[in-house]
Amino acid sequence: MQVRDVTVTGAALTPFNRRKDGTGFRDWALSAFEMALERSGLERSDIDALYVASESDFFHLQLNPASVLATELGLTGVAATRCEGGGASGQVAVHTAARAIQAGAAKHVAVIGADPSASSLSGDAVRTLYGFSFDAWTDGMTGLTSTALYALSFQAFAAEHGGTEADLATVTLQNRSNACHNPGAHLPRRDSPQDIADSPAIASPYRRLHCSPLSDGAAAIILSRTDATPRTRIGAARIAGMGAATDHMHLGARADPGFFNAKQMAMQRACADAGATPAEIGLAELYDAYAGTQLQAIAALGLSEDVSRDLNDGAFAPSGRCAINLSGGLMGQGAPVGATGVGQTATCALLLEGRYHPALQPDTLPRYALADTHGGVCTLSAVTILERAERAA
Amino acid sequence: MISHHLGLDYALNPGWMAPYVAGLSVGKARARRCQSCAATSFPPLRVCTCGCLKGDWTDLPGTAQILFRTTGLDGDFGLVHFDGATTKTTLRLQAIPATETRGIIAASGDDLPVLCLTALGGERDG
Ligand SMILES: [Zn+2]
Repeated sequence: MQVRDVTVTGAALTPFNRRKDGTGFRDWALSAFEMALERSGLERSDIDALYVASESDFFHLQLNPASVLATELGLTGVAATRCEGGGASGQVAVHTAARAIQAGAAKHVAVIGADPSASSLSGDAVRTLYGFSFDAWTDGMTGLTSTALYALSFQAFAAEHGGTEADLATVTLQNRSNACHNPGAHLPRRDSPQDIADSPAIASPYRRLHCSPLSDGAAAIILSRTDATPRTRIGAARIAGMGAATDHMHLGARADPGFFNAKQMAMQRACADAGATPAEIGLAELYDAYAGTQLQAIAALGLSEDVSRDLNDGAFAPSGRCAINLSGGLMGQGAPVGATGVGQTATCALLLEGRYHPALQPDTLPRYALADTHGGVCTLSAVTILERAERAA
Repeated sequence: MISHHLGLDYALNPGWMAPYVAGLSVGKARARRCQSCAATSFPPLRVCTCGCLKGDWTDLPGTAQILFRTTGLDGDFGLVHFDGATTKTTLRLQAIPATETRGIIAASGDDLPVLCLTALGGERDG
C-alpha cells in the first residue's frame, strides 16, 4: 500500500481554564475548529472526515459526541468517529485521523479534542470517576485515586532510577513559569519551592502544586495529504512518525512498576516510523499529569540517560537542548482531557512553523518535535513526532 | 447554567473474577496460579504474563509486605507484595502505622470488593 504523507495544515487551541462565561464544550470545539480551518486555507467543504477526542460522557453528558459536533461545526455529511484512550484520547484521535489520510481514505480531516473537565462536575465527582480509569474491578472498587497510583509509581521509579523532591520542584516551577508566557494557560504561576512544600498533601510525595489541574477547553488540527496542501501552507509541519503501545493494566503486574514501558515501546515505534532518534528531538510536549510523571516520561522516551542530572543542567529549560513543555504542559497550561493530545500536537506544529506565542517561540527551530500522551498510569501510550518543513519560518 | 442530578444504580457482574470477589468479601486473597509457569497473580490475571490462558484458583495466606506507601487526602494506599504471589498489588492500607511494613488482608463484607490491608492481629471480623 502506498503511504501518503501527512501535513498539519491548521492548528489551534482555545484557552484552557475553568470557564465562568456560560459557554460549553460545543462552543469551544467550534472556536478551535474555526481558528484551525482558517489557518489551513481550506473550506468546510474540503473536510472529508471528523475525528473527535473526548474522554468521557460523564463530563458533558453527551453520548455519541462526534455526531453532534459534526452538526455543530457545520460538517454534516462527513464521516465522523469518536476516539477514546483515557488521557491519551487526543493523540489516539490524531493517529486515527493521520492513518486515514496515509491509507488514502481521506484528503483533509479535522481532529477536535474537547472536554469540560473543570466546570461540569465537582472535583470530587471527577476524582471518583477517574478512579475507574484503571482496572475498575480492582483499583476502582478499592477507591485508589489517580494521584495515589501515580504517587506509588513515582516512588517505584525514584527508588530504581532516581528522582528527588527537589527534582519535583524544578519540574513544577519550570512548567508553570513557561505557562506565564502562554496567554491561554490555566495556571501561570511563579511559586517558590516553599510554596510547593506548603501546599496541601494529596498523595505523598505529591502536593497540590505537583498536580495538573482539571480544565475546560478544546483544541483542533486540520490534517491534509501533503500533496493536496494549499500552496500558502507549504511551510507547515508534517507528521513524521507515530507510535502507540499498552502496558499491563495492573501496576503490580509490571516488572518495574516505576518505568513507563508502554511509552518506551510507543517511542521506539514512532522513531522507527520517522527514521529519527530520541536525540534528534529538540522540542517536546510531555504528559505531565504530575511533576514526577514528567521525569518518568523523559526516561521512558529516551530523552536522557540521567534525568536528574540533565534536568538540573537545564537541558529541558526553554533554552535547553530539548525544551520540554514550553506551553506549560498539563501542569501549567491545563488539562481538558480530550483536548490534551490534540493541543500538544497543535502546539508542536505551531512551534515548528514559528507561529507559537512569541515569548515562547525558540530562536532556532529543531528538525523534530514530540507530542507525548498517555492514559491510565501510562497503560496506553501514544506519541507523535512532527517534522519542520524545509521552508518553515 | 443547567443544574441536573443523575443517579445511577449499576448491577455489575464480575464474570470470571467472581471467585476473587467472593474471596475478598470474607477476607481471602484468592489468587490465580498459572498452569504453565506456576506464576501466581493477585489480583488474578486471566492471562498469565507468560501468555498462558489456563490457571487455577488458590488462596494465599493473606499476609503482605508493604513496598511503597502513599498518604494523603483519600487515606493511605500501598504497593505491596502478598506472600506466595508473583505479582505485586496496589491496595488501600487501613490503620497500619507508618512504621509497620507488613499487614493482612481485610474482609470487604457485602460492600464493594475493596482490596484492603490492615494491621496484623487487627483484622476485621468476617
Ligand atoms: Zn504463566
